Amino acid sequence: MTLAAAGATFLVTVPWSIPALIDNFWVSVITEILIWSLFAASVNLLFGYVGLLSFGQALYFGFGMYGVALGIDRLGLSFWPAFGLGIAAAMTMALISGIFAVRLSWHYFAIITVVFSLIFYFLAVSMKPLTGGDDGINFTLPPVFRFDGKAIGLTDPTFQYFFVLAVVSLCFFLMYRLINSPLGKGFLAIRDNNLRASLIGLNVYALRLIAFVMAGLLAGVSGALFAFFGRYASATYMFYQVSGEAVVWTIVGGAGTMFGPLVGTALFIVIREIVSSHWEHHSLIVGLLAILSVIFAPRGIVGLWNGWMSRLGEREPVKKAPSRLTLRAEP
Amino acid sequence: MKDTVLLLAMNGLIWGLIIALIALGLSVIFGLLDIINIAHGDFFMVGTVLAWFSLSATGNFWIGFLVAPLIGFLLGAIIQRLVIQPIHSVAALSIVATFGLSLILQETVRITFGATPRRILAPIGGTVPLFGVDYEIYRLFAAAVAVAALACFFLFLQHTRLGIWMRAVRHDRETAIAMGIPARRVYVMTFGIGFALAAFGGAVAAPITTVDFRGGVDVLPFCFMAVIIGGLGNLPGTVAAAVLLSFLEGLIQSVADPTIARISSLVLMSAVLMLRPQGLFGGFTK
Repeated sequence: MTLAAAGATFLVTVPWSIPALIDNFWVSVITEILIWSLFAASVNLLFGYVGLLSFGQALYFGFGMYGVALGIDRLGLSFWPAFGLGIAAAMTMALISGIFAVRLSWHYFAIITVVFSLIFYFLAVSMKPLTGGDDGINFTLPPVFRFDGKAIGLTDPTFQYFFVLAVVSLCFFLMYRLINSPLGKGFLAIRDNNLRASLIGLNVYALRLIAFVMAGLLAGVSGALFAFFGRYASATYMFYQVSGEAVVWTIVGGAGTMFGPLVGTALFIVIREIVSSHWEHHSLIVGLLAILSVIFAPRGIVGLWNGWMSRLGEREPVKKAPSRLTLRAEP
Repeated sequence: MKDTVLLLAMNGLIWGLIIALIALGLSVIFGLLDIINIAHGDFFMVGTVLAWFSLSATGNFWIGFLVAPLIGFLLGAIIQRLVIQPIHSVAALSIVATFGLSLILQETVRITFGATPRRILAPIGGTVPLFGVDYEIYRLFAAAVAVAALACFFLFLQHTRLGIWMRAVRHDRETAIAMGIPARRVYVMTFGIGFALAAFGGAVAAPITTVDFRGGVDVLPFCFMAVIIGGLGNLPGTVAAAVLLSFLEGLIQSVADPTIARISSLVLMSAVLMLRPQGLFGGFTK
């Protein structure tokens, strides 16, 4: 209980005081971690809570990105409508592909999601005038809002950090509420046994579709944020390797836990930032880490931590038990 | 016009035969170990690089045909023992583990071989007139080698003890163990053979494509397509699907650009997944 309280205090205080404590470089790294962890959370929502391993979340990330970039660059939208367009594009795409994809399960689901994302990746690469292909399109950031005639935008790294933190926290909070709602319990029932779930009257297809669109929302928001963060959109972010990285972050962090994706994403991005400035072959360390973590922590880092915590919890009552009982128990 | 169609269709057919070798390796690993092998494209890439190294070390291209599958087999056996066995064929974990493996293989090649793509000159130069087109002899030779290797693999699966063991373990692991088949050793050998097939495909394809540390990235989705369209675990189906897909892409490329060709085969694959998830050629033979 105290641990939960300490955790809550930590979450309320520390992330909000970060820009005061460290320099701009690390603020921007943490901003990036937050954005990508939301992307990993969309993989986690599907795999960790509904049991569907999607290998194509990059598609919805890409739609979020392009919704923002095209909205600003081609349609001349201001900040919020462009943000909305990105999210709507991602959710619409998730709905359309979900109608087909969630009929399938396990291997077939993994493959069809990657196939859908590849189709749109190749389309985006070939429609160069619209999407800019691999080079992508750049745009200038519109201000988030005007206050007293002064424009406040994401060009200020501290404000950008707070904006991203607020959006990502909101999304994690929504996901938390979703998982703990009756709908979320339905998700868990499907994950554990979809036949039983359908026998107690749950509409497995509809629930999976809802989860798929919600995951599309999370991926779309992260894609839109990343477009704002990088001020550009590119087809390379729709390739299957981007989806694959999110799967790795999620599983290494701990699938089926709320903060597992955040831990996994933070681990890999921090290593990349620290090692890549000293040694160009940092992928070797990332690869080794991925392999070691599935061998020694198959339930992820957060899963491992939870295992330790519950074992500690079990041990305490044994110590408190009367000594006579323990004496008798030993032969 | 007719010449281009023929040329691209022939290229597609021959590339399909080489892809069939690689996809067969993927299918064998998937069918027996239940591993979704993200690193399989890199196994192919390692084959092309081994061909390049053995050519530059000895000056003889043909040694690569021996070296690539042998080293591939050893690497595969070692990887199975160190990485794949501890995760007990949990498919979700296998994706992460083989993703890590893929990064390690690519980065190791980048360190040793370098980041610049290179080309290997075809060891058999010249062209031969074929249906009115001048066709490269090496491509025809590569096709023949691929067909021979495929035939050898199926003979091996049908008539050798290891091949029979492999089929037995895939069919029913518990019974196979009860009958005294050393399943663990079969797993090690199978992963080795899967790697060897991809590496051999790489060595054969090396003079046709470029040798590059990212060479496996494009090959991987294609192999998965072949395995799915052919039907999971259906080995002859995998071969047929690889050849068919590549041939179709070659045909479409003669009227549209390669990206459109790739998109149409992906759409075809979605249709197969939705309508016939057991594959075009019959059922799940697991």
